[in-house]
Amino acid sequence: MSTITFSHVGKSYGSTVALDDVSFEIQTGELVALLGPNGAGKTTAIEILLGLRTPSDGYASIGGELPRSLPARRRIGATPQTTGFPDALRVRELVAFAAAHYPAPVDIDALLAAFDLTDLSATRAGDLSGGQQRRVALALAFAGDPEIVVLDEPTTGLDVESRRRLWEQLRANTGARRTTLFTTHYLEEAEALATRIIVLVEGRIRFDGAPSEFRAAFGHRRVAYVDARGERVVCDCDDPDAYVRELVRNEVPFRDLLVTQPSFEDVFLHLTGAAS
Amino acid sequence: MISPRLIGVHAGSILRELSRVPAFIIPTILFPAMFYTIFGLPYARTSPQAADNVLCAFVAFAVVGVTLFQFGVGIATERGRPWERYVRTLPVDAETRLSARVVVAVVFGMGAAGLVAVLARTLTPVSFDAVQWLTFALYALAGAVPFVMLGIVVAYWCPPRAALPVTNIIYLLASFAGGLWVPPEELPRFAAIISPYLPTRQYANLLWSIASGHGELAAVAALCGFTVVFMALATIGYRRDERARYA
Repeated sequence: MSTITFSHVGKSYGSTVALDDVSFEIQTGELVALLGPNGAGKTTAIEILLGLRTPSDGYASIGGELPRSLPARRRIGATPQTTGFPDALRVRELVAFAAAHYPAPVDIDALLAAFDLTDLSATRAGDLSGGQQRRVALALAFAGDPEIVVLDEPTTGLDVESRRRLWEQLRANTGARRTTLFTTHYLEEAEALATRIIVLVEGRIRFDGAPSEFRAAFGHRRVAYVDARGERVVCDCDDPDAYVRELVRNEVPFRDLLVTQPSFEDVFLHLTGAAS
Repeated sequence: MISPRLIGVHAGSILRELSRVPAFIIPTILFPAMFYTIFGLPYARTSPQAADNVLCAFVAFAVVGVTLFQFGVGIATERGRPWERYVRTLPVDAETRLSARVVVAVVFGMGAAGLVAVLARTLTPVSFDAVQWLTFALYALAGAVPFVMLGIVVAYWCPPRAALPVTNIIYLLASFAGGLWVPPEELPRFAAIISPYLPTRQYANLLWSIASGHGELAAVAALCGFTVVFMALATIGYRRDERARYA
């Protein structure tokens, strides 16, 4: 049985359509990146998955249970929105509070260490910096050692070191009996981490597949350099290596050569059919 | 399904949080005892009957305060902050969380009312025997139920930021007009007219019946009536909020 099922899920707020006929199944062990620009419906999809919203059409289920049911919630760990911890509670108390809800929670000290929170365990939530709050929020998702971890924009606001640790944590957490779903704006992050990428655009699924397929579909690179006249040349191409070799072979004078991945916005434009 | 263990977890968390906010602890626990000392004590020392009546009135004042603040302001505050959204993703049901608030209210209520009772017992000629003290504790607890519901009404019908001032106004006006600060027969005319229609007055009547031996049934009936009405309003408010935030 699939761990997570979305079957023809639609969601409207009044006349605004947030999700339109969204269907996917996620199996145990997958590490799924839900990718999309702002307003694509990522948050609504996550909210439905967490039982915070109910679909207007279709249904969602966690291991065959409605997301709002207790059995479903026992299998999921999620992150809170960062800005809203109860100020007077200490970091360790917040983590222990979350852990207490699950049948077999993790070792709290180990979890605090994994998120570099050991020194902050007695700090009140109200005294944490933004980055520290982010780390506490992420730790909470893992506190119950749930089968499914759902992270909404997990690396937003994290420094490089914390981001690296989180990636490690996600890779270690996903496996035989663990499933992870995270949303992100960053294509690079989705490609580096996920075993599967689902792209939402304007409430609809526009891509669902492995990162390699994603790269094949939208894998062009952007080559940019400054030419002899001092003008910036930009070229999108499928094989940047060949392009650069070509430049060298033809002795094109260039400097400040830059090869970049398209930003998600570029892919988004590509997906929606606008000029890229 | 209500989980006793999670009731403990949630009650512990609320207690821990509140105990770190002096602005909450001091008014709820100490104000009733302070008011008792300032306004009740001089009269309470005049006779055993006066001592009994003043004790009942100020214990009612203490319990109503704790209950309204816990369920009104407490739930309203919770409902307004983003943390609530996270707690709702945890495997815990609404009944367990409400039960945790009941535990917290009982703990604070025992503190606030207990302080008044200790003052009354040591400084005034209270006539209660052991059975009456027990009945008193039981009535004080049971009579708090409509105020639990009234608190929830405020929590869901007021915007979260308005809950505190609204609760304060209801609490103070209903305490005064309900005869909790001055005996009902000494209330100004207008207050005396509305007094019998207030849940605070009926709550006091219930407690006063322990010493006087009459008025018990009427008070119970009235408090049940208030409970039903407030519960209906609370349910409507709760459902409306659920629809708006989590539909």
